[in-house]
Amino acid sequence: MTLWGALAGGVVGTVVLTTSLRVAQELGLTRMDIPLLLGTAFTANRRRASVIGYAVHFLNGLLFALAYGGIFAAVGHAGWIFGAALGLVHAAFAGGALVNIVLPAVHPRMGTRWTDAEETPLLEPPGFMLRNYGRHTTVATILAHIAYGAIVGGFASHFALY
Amino acid sequence: MRRKGYAPIRDYAAIGDGRTTALVAADGSIDWLCLPDVDSGSVFGRLLDLERGGSFQLEPDEQYETERRYQEGSNVLETTFRTAGGVVRVTDAMALADDSLSPLRELVRRVEGLGGEVPMRWSVEPRFDFGRTETRIGLRGGRPFAWGRRDAFALAAWDCGEPKLSGHAISGRFVARPGTRGLLDLAATHQEPCVLPCRSDAELRFERTERFWPKWSSAMTYSGPWYHAVLRSALLLKLCVFSPSGAIVAAPTTSLPESIGGRRNWDYRFTWLRDASFALDALLRLGYHDEAESFFSWFMHASRLTQPRLHILYRVNGSMEAAERELDSFSGYRESRPVRIGNGAGEQVQLDVYGDVLDSVWRYVSSGGRLDASTAKDVAKIADHVCKVWREKDSSIWEVRSGPAHFVHSKAMCWVALDRACRLAEQDAIPDHRERWEGEAAAVREFIEREGFDSERGSYVRATTLRELDASLLTLALFEYHEPGDPRLAGTIDAVRRELADGPLVYRYRGEDGVEGEEGAFLTCSFWLVEALARTGRLDSARSLMDDLVGLANDVGLYAEETDEGGTFLGNFPQALVHLALANAAVSFAEAVERRQ
Repeated sequence: MTLWGALAGGVVGTVVLTTSLRVAQELGLTRMDIPLLLGTAFTANRRRASVIGYAVHFLNGLLFALAYGGIFAAVGHAGWIFGAALGLVHAAFAGGALVNIVLPAVHPRMGTRWTDAEETPLLEPPGFMLRNYGRHTTVATILAHIAYGAIVGGFASHFALY
Repeated sequence: MRRKGYAPIRDYAAIGDGRTTALVAADGSIDWLCLPDVDSGSVFGRLLDLERGGSFQLEPDEQYETERRYQEGSNVLETTFRTAGGVVRVTDAMALADDSLSPLRELVRRVEGLGGEVPMRWSVEPRFDFGRTETRIGLRGGRPFAWGRRDAFALAAWDCGEPKLSGHAISGRFVARPGTRGLLDLAATHQEPCVLPCRSDAELRFERTERFWPKWSSAMTYSGPWYHAVLRSALLLKLCVFSPSGAIVAAPTTSLPESIGGRRNWDYRFTWLRDASFALDALLRLGYHDEAESFFSWFMHASRLTQPRLHILYRVNGSMEAAERELDSFSGYRESRPVRIGNGAGEQVQLDVYGDVLDSVWRYVSSGGRLDASTAKDVAKIADHVCKVWREKDSSIWEVRSGPAHFVHSKAMCWVALDRACRLAEQDAIPDHRERWEGEAAAVREFIEREGFDSERGSYVRATTLRELDASLLTLALFEYHEPGDPRLAGTIDAVRRELADGPLVYRYRGEDGVEGEEGAFLTCSFWLVEALARTGRLDSARSLMDDLVGLANDVGLYAEETDEGGTFLGNFPQALVHLALANAAVSFAEAVERRQ
């Protein structure tokens, strides 16, 4: 088990997570658009925002993979089931705190539950477990993160064998 | 004067903070407040149930007379009570947050003695979540506190007498004398710890709020006729903007009846995409570009889940969950049952919404707004979708429950959608499918002229199978379906005045709509008539009608959805669409006068 394995899993996992949420968006299951949400924190230009957003999200995916790797190392065990369980916790953290509270609080163009008549935000806040972006968003987000965790866990354990 | 405990709808004024709105009666009682947001459950709901609704009463403890006004260019309300012994002024506001630790929501009532001695009494009777959850009252941190399952508030009473707590109320009495200045501060929370503000912070936020509104008002660029009515409409519109998302609610209330004791009671605490065009038009014409852009961004994002099909209404948080339920815990305004939360109209097909949305996009782009590539493609797809669906029946702008039909207004709005798509493509703002759109637009127009026009009456009709008049046809003039001098347009305006108008009041239609009971005159239609007259060059008639209509507002310049011939307000209050129509009518009139000169 190595951090390189977790990082490789992070690359693949982030691609799978991002792609699956994009597919869910195209299927009309959610209005969730992570690159747009992240990218518009840096620019109001939608085209540039998507590019920046993808880069930031990819970087986040690698950072979280390192955190997963640290947990695997501390526990002394890695595997796709353990990774999937961490993915579930990761989804709850992302939907309950990271994207629900932290992102709106630091995002210059996103409303928060505290935004009042003095402000005119350009992006609606995601709400708890991102439910504002469609009622299937919670399920889609959880499943995507479980897949991410399983891939990171699987890669980390696979590298342990060689 | 209250009737069986209920104040006339006309007696209310609105205060708000861009998240929620409270209604204050002329006798100083706050009878409506939903927390934390405008579409949440009510904590003060006496408007809909005298016994179980809850309220925040504040008034002299002796006979009095009142007069009210908003502070100049503001949504801060002043109520002056005159008694035999003195004069006292109550100033009400929903405070805006500042950099200090601010409550999630804060309602502040300032009481100033102006002359003599006035014994005052106040009573806060909270009933969280429409009275459906148990409300408890006690002391926390030495401060009166009320809490329900998810909500709570702390009440501070500075120089307003010693608070007394009972099982269902917090109350107090004091005497206002010249120079005294009391403050009642309700600091509310929802699923998080409650902030207990100190007096100096609360005073600072209150004063900051008093400064904010005139500053916001000063950004209005309109300075023409009926200036004060237009400014009040802009301020009301700003109250209806849900600031966290940019959405605009149709009205901050639910189930105020369209006839007293009737069943036409609907929840308006949602955003109708239909209002988008009128709202964007008004915001842009009045100079509020930030609010216009925020609303545009919100509705293009909120509707993404169903595009190219458009949903009729959305919750202010962007979701479409608006299932209609009857609220058994409330008996309704003057026994007008049922009280509904949620709105079943969201499930209907209403084709006119496509015209409203495409027209909004056109107005946004015309005012200098830019569409990114993704949004531009989405807009083109919506126009393509209109080509597919315009032949279908729908439930019309009026959301009739008598079954779908080929409503002429809906078809005309499909034509508007395709026309605006062509205009946008011509400007390279969206992908160019003009060959298809122009062909379908011509087909829609041919259908309307063949099936939707009554030659004997000289007017368009409600639907191909419903040959009566419909006031929504006035919007054909607003959306430039015809040139201003077109005889069919003039004939329709004349027919509406002849058959649906009664003085300045205009009824939506006279026919069946699938809901039992009567309704009042629809004030939006009256303002549409003003705008139609102005746009077709009949300026004297437009001016005279507008003068009459401005006189129908209540003492603080607000309108409900409807009114009866005696001036009794009916329906949800205050209604954004009426104020949007007022603002647009005034601006169109001013533009028409300018063109003539």
